[in-house]
Amino acid sequence: MSGDVPPVVRLGHDLVRNFEALPPEKAAEEIATHIKKFWEPRMRRDLVARVRAGEVDDPLLAKAAEDLLEGDVDREEVKEPSGG
Amino acid sequence: MTTIDESTVIAEQETDYGTPRVASDETATVTVDGREVSVPAGTSVMRAAAEAGIEIPKLCATDSLAAFGSCRLCLVEVEGGKGTPASCTTPCSDGMVVRTDTEQVQDLRRNVMELYLSDHPTDCDGCARGSCEMQKWARATGVAEVRYGLDGASHLADTTDHSNPYFDYDPAACIVCSRCVRACSETQGTFALTVDGRGFDSRVSAGGTDFLNSECVSCGACVQACPTDALTERSVVQLGMPTRSVVTTCAYCGVGCSFKAEVQGSGEDTRVVRMTPWKDGGANEGHSCVKGRFAYGYAAHDDRQMEPMVRDSIDDEWRVVSWDEAIAKVADGFRAIQDEHGVGYIGGISSSRCTNEEVYVVQKMVRAAFGNNNVDTCARVCHSPTGYGLNHAFGTSAGTQDFRSVEQADVILLIGANPTDAHPVFASRMKKRLRAGARIIVADPRRIDLVRSPHVEASFHLPVRPGTNVAFVNAMAHVIVTEGLLDEEFVRSRTEGTDGYLEFIAQPEHSPEATESETGIPAPELRAAARLYAAGPNSAIYYGLGVTEHSQGSTMVMGMANLAMLTGNLGREGVGVNPLRGQNNVQGSCDMGSFPHELPGYRHVSRADVRDIYESLWGVTIQPEPGLRIPNMFDSAIGGSFLGLYVQGEDIAQSDPNTQHVEAALRAMELVVVQDLFLNETARFAHVFLPGASFLEKDGTFTNAERRLNRVRPVMPSRVGKDEWQVVCEIATAMGYPMSYGSAAEIMEEIAATTPTFAGVSFARLDAEGSMQWPVTDAAPHGTPTMHVGQFVRGLGQLTPTVYVPTTERANRRFPLVLTTGRILSQYNVGAQTRRTPNSTWHPEDVLEIHPSDAELRGISDGDVVELSSRVGATRLTALVSERMPAGVVYTTFHHPVTGANVVTTENSDWATNCPEYKVTAVQVTVATEASRAEAGEAPEAVSHDMPVGAMARHRR
Ligand code: SF4
Ligand code: SF4
Ligand code: FES
Repeated sequence: MSGDVPPVVRLGHDLVRNFEALPPEKAAEEIATHIKKFWEPRMRRDLVARVRAGEVDDPLLAKAAEDLLEGDVDREEVKEPSGG
Repeated sequence: MTTIDESTVIAEQETDYGTPRVASDETATVTVDGREVSVPAGTSVMRAAAEAGIEIPKLCATDSLAAFGSCRLCLVEVEGGKGTPASCTTPCSDGMVVRTDTEQVQDLRRNVMELYLSDHPTDCDGCARGSCEMQKWARATGVAEVRYGLDGASHLADTTDHSNPYFDYDPAACIVCSRCVRACSETQGTFALTVDGRGFDSRVSAGGTDFLNSECVSCGACVQACPTDALTERSVVQLGMPTRSVVTTCAYCGVGCSFKAEVQGSGEDTRVVRMTPWKDGGANEGHSCVKGRFAYGYAAHDDRQMEPMVRDSIDDEWRVVSWDEAIAKVADGFRAIQDEHGVGYIGGISSSRCTNEEVYVVQKMVRAAFGNNNVDTCARVCHSPTGYGLNHAFGTSAGTQDFRSVEQADVILLIGANPTDAHPVFASRMKKRLRAGARIIVADPRRIDLVRSPHVEASFHLPVRPGTNVAFVNAMAHVIVTEGLLDEEFVRSRTEGTDGYLEFIAQPEHSPEATESETGIPAPELRAAARLYAAGPNSAIYYGLGVTEHSQGSTMVMGMANLAMLTGNLGREGVGVNPLRGQNNVQGSCDMGSFPHELPGYRHVSRADVRDIYESLWGVTIQPEPGLRIPNMFDSAIGGSFLGLYVQGEDIAQSDPNTQHVEAALRAMELVVVQDLFLNETARFAHVFLPGASFLEKDGTFTNAERRLNRVRPVMPSRVGKDEWQVVCEIATAMGYPMSYGSAAEIMEEIAATTPTFAGVSFARLDAEGSMQWPVTDAAPHGTPTMHVGQFVRGLGQLTPTVYVPTTERANRRFPLVLTTGRILSQYNVGAQTRRTPNSTWHPEDVLEIHPSDAELRGISDGDVVELSSRVGATRLTALVSERMPAGVVYTTFHHPVTGANVVTTENSDWATNCPEYKVTAVQVTVATEASRAEAGEAPEAVSHDMPVGAMARHRR
């Protein structure tokens, strides 16, 4: 049951499913940008910690977390209005 | 506190011009009784006279309906013309000279009036009360007595129909002018009324039965149109006529109808006699639905909680306290949590039911007094994907048109919306356009009324399987692109991302044939529908929560935007992408900075230039990082990192998905503060209850689905002694951040001063203009009915490859059916208001609609109590076996807490906005066994058999 999956990982998987049709580099950046733009910092830290602890087996999500750490996000996009 | 203007005394101040306004570039100048007046060519003589200040007696004419010319009371003489034509059906021609008061005309009118009066009760209550026009016209035509005698054949003994809970039909007072019949067809589009019989025997009839059991949807248009006392609000019969009135805005759905609240008394003793739709209301133009027109009684309901209450634990009894004590408990409690754990451990939720000003103040309290960005709004669970998707494609988080635009549409593509139930007044406008020849494509799993109802027949009904919207919209776009039906000039000059998108969408996997097995839509049907949409020439998309409440809600919104861009259906009247917003102020609550990552006007918190505006005005530092969304708050609460929540007028425990999860989150918090009219489900978990004010007590604005700012005006002072924004300010102040305003108007001044799209908005301007659609700027000082004319707000429109990603919530062996949810006409959302009105006559419980074959397979018959279970929970409902459902899909509403539809909905959500996937839950349905009933407590009442069988109960069939 997905109830057992930590919320940040579940939400991360949702993003992966949505972006995985893109080339991996691009997909990871999109996911990282989305997380930077919409996630509260504690949630971001939680995700990164879980990736580091090897709890996240999805390579794309792991890569996105890495991008996030390294500030590999589209900063202009983060500032754009989203309205949702 | 808000001051109340009680100076508007009701009089016959709303002029009835007799016939509708005519739009024409040419004018005709006529002389009526020596007064010259210029009117648009085609205007009736009656209307021209009224515009010149001359009232011609009339019975069958009223300005909301086309002239009918049956009563012959409005005769006039035209110089050089023959006879005495009826002024309501005679168009003005230039130079015409009309006399309305010659002796011949007066004689004729007197005769007509006498005839009518001979069959009208002499003791007509309405005449005495002033709610019947007969007396007035008798006086105007000089009829002192009736020569035909009252002892001849008459209808005076006919009995009154009291079946409708809100209005009576007294045939004795009816003059068969047919205004009601025409109102029901022309204005409402329901065709429930007919004139039965001929000549003297003719009578108005609700299809041969009483009103409650007829097709009537209780919109009130017939009552509004009736010139006599034949159709009268029950409240007028009981209370008498109102003495003053205030124009305000309905507090139910996102249509945002304007009403005249007609009241008696003053101050705290003010009593609403009736709500009548306001002719000049931009959204409704004089029409209404059963909710706004009649279901306002909840505001005076005994259940309303009038005093603040507190308790230490949710297991304790509530203790009534003073406002000061309650506010101190909130402030101290929140500060204590922050001191012990951290600034980010508390947050607030604002409500789409509240005014812009109230919502603005809540987000300000969170950002300035709480010192974090943990603010979200209930739009999270309904239309957040609309904001996200439309902003991404066009640069504005809002619909592109005004409602009037539908009058220019040739093809309407309706997706995941059921306007006749959820947005009834707009549905009436849409149906009017359909009767005039526009065509409609309905994409919805259910066979909703607009697929087929009197004088409406959809060109296509595409029963898209829940969860496959994106595959469907891609298939539509695929046909348009591969069959060369696109508007090349528009695509070339106004979009970007074009090549990538065109290449993506042309891939064969998006074809109707390839997606048919997924969407359930036969490919030939889909192709034909796509061709119709592309042919237009004006094609407009209207959509609702059937689009947004999915795991790909935002993608679907972009997909529809793609469709409109491909075909050039943007930037003029009659086209566009139009969300039918759920709540009265869902647009406004989003505009006001209720999202955790955006300040008012959709500006990201990371933007230093925007933070500067507020930091210098508010004198605080604003966090540059996003806060928690509602579902994040729940998850964090369960995880122990979120402990205090202020909830403004929203019942998250009933309305949000996966009830067990929400309840667990609420239980995990140390301080839950609920501000509401009633002790709602969420209040069961609250430590402080702050009583709220009803819309009748509020001063402010609501923004409807067309971006229209309408004024909400108080008809009485707050019954709980404080305005809601004032309470919020006092909490902030008690937390050490002084916040105060002299009035709601002052709050709007601050909004306008800090938010570019609202720069030109003020209460004074709204009062002068009636309403305005944002953006209201120097460039558009009267607002913007149609957006993206010539250019998108973001410059070029963004075409986005919308990859279809099937939801993880799939039917399987254990849960083989898909549950989807919605709402019905008479009830509203969690039902907190409508359940406390006679609207429950039509919908006393939520039922589960199930296709006959699915029912048969499970041994379920109509009226059985069934158990509905999903992987997260189970609940019980009464089954309604219905052909409206496709096989494999079941449907219910969530208006009643006892049925708890959200006990079964899951935590799945839109990938971009976390809007819950309410519309897809894999479920199983079984006949409830005695054991399961006992386990779950009281069984819901089985269907009562004296339920009305008419249109309002149609969901039961
Ligand atoms: S109240 Fe009923 S009968 Fe009257 S106009 Fe509305 S739908 Fe028709
Ligand atoms: S259509 Fe909506 S806004 Fe209009 S009266 Fe009905 S509920 Fe109120
Ligand atoms: S008002 Fe003109 S004929 Fe009735």
